[in-house]
Amino acid sequence: MASIIKIDPLTRIEGHLAIKATVDDVDGEQQVVDARSSGTMFRGFEMILKGRDPLDAPHYTQRICGVCPISHGMASCLNLESALGADVPANGRILRNLVLGANFLMSHVLHFYHLAALDFINTSGVIDIAPWVPRYVTGDMVAGSTASALVGHYVQALAIRRKAHQMAAIFGGKLPCAPSFVPGGCTEVVAQDKIDNFRELLAEQRTFIDETYIPDVLTVAGAFPAYFSIGVGCGNLLAYGVFDMDNSDENKLLYRGRYTDGDAAEVDPEKIMEYLKYSRYDDAGSGLNPADGVTQPQLNKENAYSWLKAPRYNNIVHEVGPLARMAVNYLSNDPTTIGLIESVLGANPDISVLFSVLGRHAARALEAKLVVDAMEGWLDELDVNAPAYVESDIPKTASGIGLTEAPRGALGHWIDISNHRIDRYQVITPTNWNASPKDDLEQMGPIEQALVGTPVTDIGQPVEILRVVHSFDPCLACSVHMVRPGKTEPEMVVYTRPSI
Amino acid sequence: MKITRRDFLKASAAITGALTLKASGLMQLQQAMAGGGGAPPVIWLQGQGCTGCSVSLLNSVYYTTIDDLLINKLDVKYHPTVMAAAGEMAVEAAEDARDAGGYVLVIEGAVPLGENGHYCHVWEDEGGNPVTMQQAVQTFAPNAIAILAIGTCACYGGMSAGEPNPTEAMGVDDTLAYLGLEATVINIPGCPAHPDWIVGTVAALLAVLAGEGEMPELDEYGRPKDFYGSCVHDKCPNRAFGRTARTLGEAGCLAGLGCRGQQTHADCPIRQWNSAAQSEMGVNWCVGSRNPCQGCTEPDFPDGMSPFYNLGGRTGDKQHNRNGKV
Ligand code: SF4
Ligand code: SF4
Repeated sequence: MASIIKIDPLTRIEGHLAIKATVDDVDGEQQVVDARSSGTMFRGFEMILKGRDPLDAPHYTQRICGVCPISHGMASCLNLESALGADVPANGRILRNLVLGANFLMSHVLHFYHLAALDFINTSGVIDIAPWVPRYVTGDMVAGSTASALVGHYVQALAIRRKAHQMAAIFGGKLPCAPSFVPGGCTEVVAQDKIDNFRELLAEQRTFIDETYIPDVLTVAGAFPAYFSIGVGCGNLLAYGVFDMDNSDENKLLYRGRYTDGDAAEVDPEKIMEYLKYSRYDDAGSGLNPADGVTQPQLNKENAYSWLKAPRYNNIVHEVGPLARMAVNYLSNDPTTIGLIESVLGANPDISVLFSVLGRHAARALEAKLVVDAMEGWLDELDVNAPAYVESDIPKTASGIGLTEAPRGALGHWIDISNHRIDRYQVITPTNWNASPKDDLEQMGPIEQALVGTPVTDIGQPVEILRVVHSFDPCLACSVHMVRPGKTEPEMVVYTRPSI
Repeated sequence: MKITRRDFLKASAAITGALTLKASGLMQLQQAMAGGGGAPPVIWLQGQGCTGCSVSLLNSVYYTTIDDLLINKLDVKYHPTVMAAAGEMAVEAAEDARDAGGYVLVIEGAVPLGENGHYCHVWEDEGGNPVTMQQAVQTFAPNAIAILAIGTCACYGGMSAGEPNPTEAMGVDDTLAYLGLEATVINIPGCPAHPDWIVGTVAALLAVLAGEGEMPELDEYGRPKDFYGSCVHDKCPNRAFGRTARTLGEAGCLAGLGCRGQQTHADCPIRQWNSAAQSEMGVNWCVGSRNPCQGCTEPDFPDGMSPFYNLGGRTGDKQHNRNGKV
């Protein structure tokens, strides 16, 4: 007999998420056979932006998400710069990369220790007070002295992530939400004492990543080998790329690219479409590129079960995030990335093991190392005698696109300016991709696909589901495309078992 | 009926008086502290926000660090971003703490009143029905011994209530007035709120609960005067600097470029942000990074404070201001 597990609220994420999973017996094992993820909050940011001064967009959109405001600031600045034709000075590009890099480190450390690790560690006897109790305790969790050590690192990581924000504020102005991010560069100036302070803090981040974060991920991996094959997902990856090394939009620390049906390929933003068949929107808006996106809520639409749209690349489901970025870099033969991945998986690795819960954690940790190492070099490229910001006029009519990466995956902003004001502003966040519902071709979203097949030992403590969902680092406040909830959930449970 | 934020600001200004703790709740709390643990229970609800205020709180160090707060000073029964429990177990933790009474209720994010509150569900009840943020406030406010609204969204609606306010989002004061509940809320605005404003206020509250301190004095918008007593402009180093910035990124006063420091109450110039250690001033702040103050602690942020820039011909449209203010 199938039973339905609902986890609402799904905690230790950013924002509001509910997971509904159908569990049934499959060949003698109790597994998830169907899953649905629902965002449960809507603000209407895109509606709020309409009619405003385009220069305000980076500051409004940074408030979409308090964990990755800098990514929204970056996407918004790139978006406006493409509309304005602004040529950002090298200092501006580098300062923004440094602030974004610092926020990547902050987010990755926060995610592993404070959001995800409690799914793997039994902290009973180590820390038995709220908010760490009540909690699920399952027999497979790491306990004893390893658990105590990891709890110690959890506390240490709180200070490390705080200092990453301190570092970001040197050039960002303050964190969360950096005032210095503006179209045309960065308002903060390059000064030697600031560079020196940044460098000192960076060294501490680097030591923590090398000596604590990566070893801890490997410790967890060693204790949960099964999770190298649980949470596989759709197997297709998409990355817009981030950390521009020059102004060409072609040379990035983390490359733009995708991995579709087993092959590496290029990304053409025109091929991104949003589907609405299972979303509570008028079907007339289905299949549109975000540059033409329409948001027309339809509450009681038959068969619709989600408030998220379903973005797809060329009609194919793609996962976004650190796994996508590291795989794209690896497949693009980036030597540093190859070295990092082989340091963990050995020479000529089978990268298919990365398509898993642990693969995502490992990719995130290795990416933190790639970024922290690169940041040191960026500091050397700063020029204390040059500007970091250039003014530019807002045209009467223009369109723009800003593609970047948030710590949790590909982030895109699209703008239409009309009469010097924002006419249309569209945002597709990483969680829009990863937590999307089924599309017009009946394909489930990445998290839904990753959940199907997950064994659940005790439906009273479905920690396996948390492990799979947390590995994507979902961020629901980000998912601005959610439309208003209907008052009644359609009672429809589909039992599907895709052949993966 | 469409309720505007402004209507409620007027209404709630009228009920904002001296903060008083409920005697019964205080007794419960003192008993709880005497019974061991010693830390007051805290229930932290998130409505329509971005979690930025929680993330900002994690940056706390000036008064104390977040681990000290969580482990030694507070008994955080419910906080969706940090708690170990999920789903039903998490909801039960919140409901048990509520039923025991004597807790501090913290609210982050705005409360949408449109569509009967269905723009924000906080969890599902036992019967499988979604519980809205509005319902959560309605059931959790009455038993609280103190209510803290953290961040401009929770205080006044903030970003979530930006025109055209698609979800009819409101701050906690307005929501309580709408629900016909009487309670005084301590507002700690900021987008996000500075960790010191939160922790400093919590520290003052803990002292009161221990019978050792005075209630923090609040201004007409419910903000503790200790942190919001003066204007950003009053203590801004640019006043003595005697230069005017002609463009962003230049040294000097940013008044001509859109700075809202003269209208904005906060101690940012002297406190600054992202401090490195206990009792140390922060490393930078908005105006320090040569970008104008955006007025993020004020009740009419963001609509009354934007457009944020006045760059002459370089803004899209100088006249464009949705509230007719410059
Ligand atoms: S920069 Fe802003 S806060 Fe500072 S003196 Fe000028 S107007 Fe006042
Ligand atoms: S300087 Fe102004 S905008 Fe910046 S944090 Fe302080 S009050 Fe908010």
